[in-house]
Amino acid sequence: MAASQDVVPIGSMIPLTGPSAADGAEFRKGMILAVEELNARGGLLGRPIRPIFADTCRQTAEEVVGAARWLIEKHQVHAIVNGYNIGPQNSEYEPIADAGIIYVHANTLLQHHDTVMSDPERYFGCFMADPADYWYGPGFIKFISWLRDSGQWTPNSDRLAIISGSKPYSIVIANAMAAAAADFGWRLCFGPKIVQTPTSQWRDVLDEVRATNPAVIANTHFYAGDLAHFQRQFSEKPMDCIVYLQYGAMHRTFTDIAQEAAVGVIVSSVIGLLRDDMGKRFEARYNARFGEGSTATIGCQSYSNMHHYAVAAAMAGGSGPPGDFEQNRKVAFALKGMIYRSVHGTIRYHPDWQAVVPYPVVTHDPSLGMPHIFYQIQDFRKPLSMIAPEPYNTERFVYPPWMSGRGTAVRPAPPANSRGLTGL
Amino acid sequence: MAEADRAADADDRLAAIWAGLDVAPNGILVWGDDRRLLYVNDRFRKTCDLPASVGMTYDAFVSAMARSHECFLPCEPDEWEREEIADFGVEKQRDYLFATGAVMQVTHAGSRVGGMTVTFTDVTAIKRNETALQLAKEAAEATDEAKSRFLRAANHDLRQPLASLKILIYNCIREPVEEHRSDMLHAMGVAVSIMEDLLGALLQIGQLDAGRIQPRITSFQLSQLFERLDIQFRHQAEEKALRLKFVAPRGTIATDRALLERILSNFVANAIRFTEVGGVVVGCRREGKSLRIEVVDTGRGVRPQDRERVFDEFYRATEERRMQKNGLGLGLNIVKRLAELLEHPVRLRSEVGRGSIFSVTVPLGNIWHSEAGREVEISEAVAGEFVGTPVILVEDDDILRETMTQLLRRWGIDVHAAADESEAIRLVEGGVVPQLIVADYNLKTRTGVDVVEGVRQAIGAATPAMIVTADAEPRVLEGIRAAGLPVLVKPVSPPRLRVLMHNLLFEPSLTKLSGR
Repeated sequence: MAASQDVVPIGSMIPLTGPSAADGAEFRKGMILAVEELNARGGLLGRPIRPIFADTCRQTAEEVVGAARWLIEKHQVHAIVNGYNIGPQNSEYEPIADAGIIYVHANTLLQHHDTVMSDPERYFGCFMADPADYWYGPGFIKFISWLRDSGQWTPNSDRLAIISGSKPYSIVIANAMAAAAADFGWRLCFGPKIVQTPTSQWRDVLDEVRATNPAVIANTHFYAGDLAHFQRQFSEKPMDCIVYLQYGAMHRTFTDIAQEAAVGVIVSSVIGLLRDDMGKRFEARYNARFGEGSTATIGCQSYSNMHHYAVAAAMAGGSGPPGDFEQNRKVAFALKGMIYRSVHGTIRYHPDWQAVVPYPVVTHDPSLGMPHIFYQIQDFRKPLSMIAPEPYNTERFVYPPWMSGRGTAVRPAPPANSRGLTGL
Repeated sequence: MAEADRAADADDRLAAIWAGLDVAPNGILVWGDDRRLLYVNDRFRKTCDLPASVGMTYDAFVSAMARSHECFLPCEPDEWEREEIADFGVEKQRDYLFATGAVMQVTHAGSRVGGMTVTFTDVTAIKRNETALQLAKEAAEATDEAKSRFLRAANHDLRQPLASLKILIYNCIREPVEEHRSDMLHAMGVAVSIMEDLLGALLQIGQLDAGRIQPRITSFQLSQLFERLDIQFRHQAEEKALRLKFVAPRGTIATDRALLERILSNFVANAIRFTEVGGVVVGCRREGKSLRIEVVDTGRGVRPQDRERVFDEFYRATEERRMQKNGLGLGLNIVKRLAELLEHPVRLRSEVGRGSIFSVTVPLGNIWHSEAGREVEISEAVAGEFVGTPVILVEDDDILRETMTQLLRRWGIDVHAAADESEAIRLVEGGVVPQLIVADYNLKTRTGVDVVEGVRQAIGAATPAMIVTADAEPRVLEGIRAAGLPVLVKPVSPPRLRVLMHNLLFEPSLTKLSGR
């Protein structure tokens, strides 16, 4: 048998150009590292794996569907393994379901649940390897309540202001935050207000928010550059409140633009590299392979998805090309059944959603869910501080410098605390 | 010779008898009139690890048994030993539990010649059956008792929501304002669900009495429970013109949600029942790692001599009996038993004529483990981007209209479906203000483009709209686009529909990109 016939082609739809090219580059690296490691150990049951990358550019439905068709029709890929693509709104599921191959992505979309559950037979191969955007909502509300109830922060009121970007992801998160707020003792004083994004102009909406004097501002827009402008404009006239910025504030671009204004900002991700031994070793391998400027916390997504897929395919006795529904159903069965501890926490697919379950919002057992990690920017020149959840956190929350009379990182306990809480 | 033969024959027969006795089901010891052991069978040696050799005295055997630790004695070894020695030859029977777990029935029988035979019979199986029977009998009795308690408690506890329901139904019949009526219907729904929960809880209390209940401890927000109590009791308090106030607490508690609700609802029900002027406040205080939940009323108070007894079963204060108030006096007893089960301290402070404070102290929980009601079943209908968006759908095909409505509802959309333009306009006239119009192109009398125009006129605004069509003729599609409306060709792909709807609603500048 010729070696080329033995190759297992695996597609990867990645924004190699366009506004998310920085993330796309990392997703590509993650795939390359995973495939190199797998092939060094004998590939998939002795067959070498070959990754094929399709550029999804601006990640519109047309581009992503086109990429899926190209991978399936031209390259006969057995699976498509990605990071994320925003925009196609699951329209790429159609050519994939028609071909009966496996699709693993980290699109972070609630609508994945709806699509899969609307026809589980048809979408048997579609897996979302991170929790849905929705979970950011209750996760964030629990986080600020935890800061409050554990005495790490004494809010000046129970008022919460929510600003949303205009993408479905941002709107869903903003709605979910609003829905969970009252149960945990928060009162919505502003929003969720949908701002047309992308935009770098936030002063008007900040003025509106300022009038409501909130204890917390959450902005669910997620473009790093836009958020950096938001934070700079907030800093011009700061309020006595916690500032939470969605996902994008994790990026280097954010701190590069926001500089000192970034310090104190809270940001979270339902998927991110852990700082335990496994995470550190992965980061070292990643940087050794691709250079110190690489971002392992992004690349780990496609890396883990590829590893998990390869193990599942091996368990199933091999992968299947387009049309081999029977073999790919076996792979899907193995993916669903196998709890996999990746370098960014546990991948365990919910049996009905075919999406990962978050910890601690849904499962209280860290071995069964992917951690929703909260970071704080404590020094804009250094990596973000991981402040929750246990047992993964490595640092603790500190008061942001703009908060009134609370400029120091560690604050003494207030003498008379009406709630009986202990300050840190 | 003959004598010798006879003697040998007698010996053989005796040996045969011994051999026969060796395999008897009981251990046998035969003592002579000189209190020395004449015979011990094999069965005894096999079943009892006690020293017994032919020729040993009965007193030595008893002494060895007393100190062997092989069996449990009914009294101190010395005393037992004295009794047993004194009772040589006296008929008696007693069961002993041996270290092996076996129960031996030991029977003493005096012989005609002044000796004694002692038998050891293994009655373990019989005893086990007896114990099992006894337990089954006790369980049956407890179940019976629990059933009676259940009926009494059901009568007591179901009265609260029933009373609310009666008031609500009465008010609802007379209520002219639609909005108020729908509020009342909502409250009725809540009252019914509370009754349902109560029945469940009462069943649990039945089991509690039978010792079969296991609390299910979870972490949750007390505010959720306060909200339910507020709905449950608001109308009763209003009926008596009492203020009922819940001070929304912050923080997570760790306990059994349903059982704590039973405790608090009993407190609040009592507070309302025994307060004529003023009000009831439910609030919390932090006490170290616990939270004390207090129900404060301005009622008549509890006399010092009654403060312990109010928690007794069927206890009612004298004046209460005189006034023939409702209730069987079970509420606070249920509270006491639940609190004991949950290990939550319950306290009562009171001043006659001023009011009472009933409180229960619960441990604080881990907020990360807190259940937020909506989390278990998330869907787009609960949390999607389109939740609550009003949309008018115009489609003349009944089946397609139904399928489309179902799809949109699954995404949380507030769908108002119409078969034609006039029906759609009636919807608008009836108060529907859509944020989006979705119209079929090939309607019976008019085109979808005309319908959109008509509906927009009725609304008085250029509401965003889109057309779906089965006619993929380029001329038709061009015509629709020329009218400035985006179009999707049937069968409509849900993701495409979703993208277009999103853009029309939230990012109109993108409509041109995705509407093609």
